[in-house]
Amino acid sequence: MASLWINQLLQGILLGGLYALFATGLSLAAGVMRFINIAHGDFIVLTCYVLLVLTTTLGLNPVVATLIVLPAAFLFGFGLQRFLLQRVVGENVLLVILVTFGLSIIIENGLLEGFGADPQKISGGWLETATVALGAGVNVGLFQVLTFIAAVLLVAALDLLLYRTGIGAKIRAVSDDVAAADLIGLSSVRLYAIAMGISFVTIGIAAGFMSIWTNFDPASGPTRLLIAFEVVVMGGLGSLWGSLAGGIVLGVAQSIGGQFDIAWQTMAGHIVFLIVLALRPQGLFPKY
Amino acid sequence: MSMSASSPLLAVEGVSVFYGKFRAIDHVDVTVGGGEVVSIIGANGAGKSTLLKAIIGQADRVEGTIGFAGEDIIGRSTEAIVASGIMLVPEGRRLFPSLTVEENLRLGWDVGRKGEIGFADVWHQFPVLLQRRRQKAGSLSGGEQQMVALARALLANPRLLLCDEISLGLAPRVVNELYALIPDIKRRGIGILIVEQDIERSLAVADRFYCLLEGKVSLAGRPHEVTRDLVIKHYFGL
Repeated sequence: MASLWINQLLQGILLGGLYALFATGLSLAAGVMRFINIAHGDFIVLTCYVLLVLTTTLGLNPVVATLIVLPAAFLFGFGLQRFLLQRVVGENVLLVILVTFGLSIIIENGLLEGFGADPQKISGGWLETATVALGAGVNVGLFQVLTFIAAVLLVAALDLLLYRTGIGAKIRAVSDDVAAADLIGLSSVRLYAIAMGISFVTIGIAAGFMSIWTNFDPASGPTRLLIAFEVVVMGGLGSLWGSLAGGIVLGVAQSIGGQFDIAWQTMAGHIVFLIVLALRPQGLFPKY
Repeated sequence: MSMSASSPLLAVEGVSVFYGKFRAIDHVDVTVGGGEVVSIIGANGAGKSTLLKAIIGQADRVEGTIGFAGEDIIGRSTEAIVASGIMLVPEGRRLFPSLTVEENLRLGWDVGRKGEIGFADVWHQFPVLLQRRRQKAGSLSGGEQQMVALARALLANPRLLLCDEISLGLAPRVVNELYALIPDIKRRGIGILIVEQDIERSLAVADRFYCLLEGKVSLAGRPHEVTRDLVIKHYFGL
């Protein structure tokens, strides 16, 4: 009986890794540019479809396909910020919400038009089915473990980038005071675009793991946004390690809740989110 | 290059700056030579800070010409202007509070021209900043923050330094310390344009000055050539 709960706890922690992957890019963009990209989840799903095309029509290995997509994702995010979102940044937060909400609708309907409503999935082959036996009847999936490791590595890499590199210092400067950055010749327009490019790299990585982990269909985006949003708020806005912690809290809540009653899986996550929000509105690891 | 040797480092000619329909600066001419300290004085709203904004490329609509080292820089990005050798010490210091002192300084080095002024000079000139280099800039006192702002600007190795109200809100002792650095900056051949509310302080350090009144130059000259009464008259437009 104990092994059952330990199993659920572990599954929840590993699920938290996937959720952290959903959230890091959203947290980065929100922390630097102070707006929420409503289409974040839809861009993850869109990238899943791009990976689907690359793996099915071109027959690429999913890992190779993901690695090909990442640089393209950076350029796409850079361009999206530079040529579209930058036009509404700083004007009025409602405009950013409207524009990204519009993108969300366009992506969902475009995918529906192009691929139909059927759920899709990318096969991870042996990776998907391999398990790691931890003894005492506790088994975890190898792919789930790899996803969690990827989440930790991604957060660590972003942490290094932001706090140990020159470009990271510039991004944090713009996050501190965008007008002051412009006054001393730091181009906030370009730094915002770079930050969004990095956010889209995390979207590419999240899509790579999600497309093998679970089914996706054109309407999967908003759920991913909701998860990412809850994780970011629980972790503390703009805090990268907080996103990992928030992801684990949400993953464990869902996993344990689902063990009581499968219908409670999603609800348990939302309830824990509300409890955290009520007790610690600044998040678990507040940055500001 | 012979042109730039004879023409001043900065030549603001017939410059007007608009905020919407409002003309904040009206056909202003200002020059600054290399190694020269020029003060802009004037009451609140006279257009002093607006002039600095126009020079650094942060004003929305500018007419006229702003020659720097012989080239018109109107329309250039702030990034390009800073890289070509003009750096601003902004009003209110405008450090990045969550960045360390050293990170703030490094930004100045990164955006500027690469030149002779390096971190060793800054640590030598401001020993207190060396001690505090790993501290967040937001945790420093006002005077120390102003030192960081000035050091950040110097690390950009400017040929022209713009100082906007560097004494504002600081204790006189700290202001004296900051102004004591000006002769050394001059000696390096850097031109300095100072905007300051404090007329006495501003005129004491300047080689030449301009007094702005409602967006126009109401008086210009050398501080020792004018009387205090004359300056006051043109300062308030009496």
